[in-house]
Amino acid sequence: MSQPVLSVINAAVHFRQRGGILRKAGPALKAVDGVSLTVAPGETLGLVGESGCGKSTLANAILGLVPLAGGVIEIAGRGVESDNPDSLRAIRSDAQMVFQDPALSLNPRLSVGTAIGEPLIVRGLAKGAELRERVAALLKAVGLEADHASRFPHAFSGGQRQRIVIARALALQPKLVICDEPVSALDVSVRAQILNLLVDLQRDRGMSYLFVSHDLSVVRHIADRVAVMYLGRIVEMAAMAIIFARPRHPYTQALLAAAPEPDPVRQRAKPRHVLEGELPSPTDLPPGCAFNTRCPLASHLCRHERPELSARSDGSLVACHHAKE
Amino acid sequence: MTPLDQTHSTSTSVLEIDQLRLEIDGAAVVDGLSLSVGKGEIVALVGESGCGKSLSALAVLRLLPDAVNIAGGRIALEGRDLFGLDARSMAGVRGRDASIIFQEPTASLDPLMTVGDQIAEALTTHGSMRKQDALLQAREMLVSIGIADPERRLRQYPFELSGGMCQRIMIAIALICGPRLLIADEPTTALDVTIQAQILHLIRKLVSARSTAVLLITHDMGVVADMADRVVVMYAGRVAEAATVVELFSRPRHPYTALLLASIPHAAQISKSRLATIEGTVPRPSSHSTGCRFASRCPLAEDRCRKEVPPLADHGDGHQAACWRSQDMALLGVHA
Repeated sequence: MSQPVLSVINAAVHFRQRGGILRKAGPALKAVDGVSLTVAPGETLGLVGESGCGKSTLANAILGLVPLAGGVIEIAGRGVESDNPDSLRAIRSDAQMVFQDPALSLNPRLSVGTAIGEPLIVRGLAKGAELRERVAALLKAVGLEADHASRFPHAFSGGQRQRIVIARALALQPKLVICDEPVSALDVSVRAQILNLLVDLQRDRGMSYLFVSHDLSVVRHIADRVAVMYLGRIVEMAAMAIIFARPRHPYTQALLAAAPEPDPVRQRAKPRHVLEGELPSPTDLPPGCAFNTRCPLASHLCRHERPELSARSDGSLVACHHAKE
Repeated sequence: MTPLDQTHSTSTSVLEIDQLRLEIDGAAVVDGLSLSVGKGEIVALVGESGCGKSLSALAVLRLLPDAVNIAGGRIALEGRDLFGLDARSMAGVRGRDASIIFQEPTASLDPLMTVGDQIAEALTTHGSMRKQDALLQAREMLVSIGIADPERRLRQYPFELSGGMCQRIMIAIALICGPRLLIADEPTTALDVTIQAQILHLIRKLVSARSTAVLLITHDMGVVADMADRVVVMYAGRVAEAATVVELFSRPRHPYTALLLASIPHAAQISKSRLATIEGTVPRPSSHSTGCRFASRCPLAEDRCRKEVPPLADHGDGHQAACWRSQDMALLGVHA
């Protein structure tokens, strides 16, 4: 196999809790704890989990936006050092990010053309007529018109703005695009347009996606492999077809069971085992498996010993003492 | 769980909306909305942002923002004309006969009041119940919605609770006076999927035990498929289609519904295949032209669609669609 575009080895991100006059500093919040994964060229890895599971923090750490407390992250073979501007400058030509809310990702005072062209200007890659041409080509690649370059973000709808953000992410021809909930803020009909665009762009340009989402139907549609996170750790990672057909971790099973399908006949025929309880506080994790407080299979072992990810015969990784082969 | 084949008669309508018209600066944001919700029935009002679904819900409780003007139509709750009530009688209706829960439970609760006081307030406001009795009843309510350690919860403030727990408290407040109608405006949109399943399960359980009528506002077709008996689809302020949930998903008769359903990634679909899309954007209320409001985005649109407003025509079994070409859905080439 060729060199992975992204390789994350045992990454940890901890947030220190500040103390005050009356309060001692709390224990560190382990937002990401011992996460390892790789993304191959041209591959889409879906990263799913509920709010607070650390998926966005991991995405930010990959681009050096938050410092690592441990572990190594490499993009196209180059280490990400969040405190080293040269390292960040180097990796950002290989890896770019698309965030959830396009309205917040675009500077309202920059014309669309300037926003998209800025990465090229900053790196001295193009100017003048050539810059205009490259911006026009990027706009066309995302389904907009060349003459949109002179307009400002407010003149565009939510879906069009997300296209602009994607065009800007593509400007440096990155090998990896991290999409953090890229369609969650969009209406259903627009969501489909953006998903189609992301699929087309990957087919034409061959870049990889790390696709962070809480929406399983979207991940099922776009991902080749899926990693499921719970409270800072990956609990299951497998090929898309395997994980949806045969989820092994009880948390993955609960997530799939909870996601309502847009088909009344199938949805109402689904077995309903509603997952009890809520997420434990990330600063006060239960000992053993973090899922044991909500897990229908939890045993004495689960409350005392944390299960590590272990490989199954079909290549899936599962972190559960009781998951079946 | 509601049997799917059950068709509800509207003879026992709890809520009756008839030709509702809402305007902002003279432009119609809701135009001719009619629907009814029967006892124990869950009717979903669906559509994309700006289609007028939330304003319609607010109109029922007369909680509309000042800029929105009720320009016509009638809303009746158990036969009582709500637009004819004075402010005082209307306040008596809210929370007692009809309640609403919103998307953001943390924003709906008073941060300076304990949860117990907020639940009890509904009872003391609408009756002559003493605070002590009201708190006792609040405790029972928490038990009935499956909240552990109710005494402690009653003494807590909203900031001490998770989003899912706050939404449960909102449901407790909404249902404690035993209203005949519950309006749920995107009740689970801000919640995680496992918590969403818990809340939907709770709403279903409570309303079926009490035969509460539910108007469920949502944009999520998965939630509709899970919860609704009947569905009303709105587009740009007008009803595009109304049908029982199975009819709507299996035989949509409006191109907007058909394309909307086809644009959602399905389990049965091949991964990375093309999803159906709806080109263009929703027209602004100020720029509504004659004819069908979906015409500018509709692949089936013909001259007539751009000139004449299609009436909401009956296709039998309560299935209605406002489309001149509702017989030609196969031409869209999207429906499996």
